[in-house]
Amino acid sequence: MNTQNQNGYMLLYRSDEWYNRLSQEELQKLINQNKAWFERLTGQGKAKPGRALERTGVTVSGKNGRFVMDGPFAESKEAIGGYLTLDVETIEEAIAIAQSSPGLAYGGSIEVRPMADECPLDVRARELAREEQLVNA
Amino acid sequence: MLLFRGNDWTKSLSPEEKQKVTDQWMAWFKRLTDDGKAIAGNPLERESKIVSGKNRVVSDGPFAESKEAIGGYFLLDVASFDDAVAIARECPGLPHGVQVEVRPVAGECPIASELKHDAQFAHA
Repeated sequence: MNTQNQNGYMLLYRSDEWYNRLSQEELQKLINQNKAWFERLTGQGKAKPGRALERTGVTVSGKNGRFVMDGPFAESKEAIGGYLTLDVETIEEAIAIAQSSPGLAYGGSIEVRPMADECPLDVRARELAREEQLVNA
Repeated sequence: MLLFRGNDWTKSLSPEEKQKVTDQWMAWFKRLTDDGKAIAGNPLERESKIVSGKNRVVSDGPFAESKEAIGGYFLLDVASFDDAVAIARECPGLPHGVQVEVRPVAGECPIASELKHDAQFAHA
């Protein structure tokens, strides 16, 4: 596994609306923990502002985008609730940061993904061209 | 926010077709950026780890190659949800099986909104 990556990492928060099951006190405590966690990371220059996503939306698919369907659905445990981008160089550090996220104790999961410098399509097209060259050589 | 789902759709394409879709995609993003409609965007590598649970267990992402895996995103600055959907419908990957999830960005963390909502009812 290539653990070094100059482009940073993305944390994708996946969960259902587990926070609806918390009491007001628990919620407030978690919000404070989250705020402190995020301020520490930004203070260290390790995290850039993330965004939370509303629990609504549509999925567009098909040629010319002819299918527009409601969803993903909020109750899905895989639904993405928000993201954060990290300016760290190894996946180990990105994983360690994900593990320190205060919300994990209550539910949901965090997907850790290296950000790509260029589109994977470009990379694959180049590989195929190279293979073709080798076959013709 | 546009989330591009699916990372197995390029398999059936020839190198020429791949190059064509890539060029279209890049031109599309450049036009949106020039128009001030796209603020950020990034492809993601396929490698994926999932962290979950109280014990913060790390496992390999289950979405390595699937129709649901997220391959990248655009963050848009448009006035309405319909504008965002219209842009999603221009995605060059759509004819090849890509799905574009369109999601409104929240003004604040939904957990904080939930709390305010609860407080409102408590005082009512």
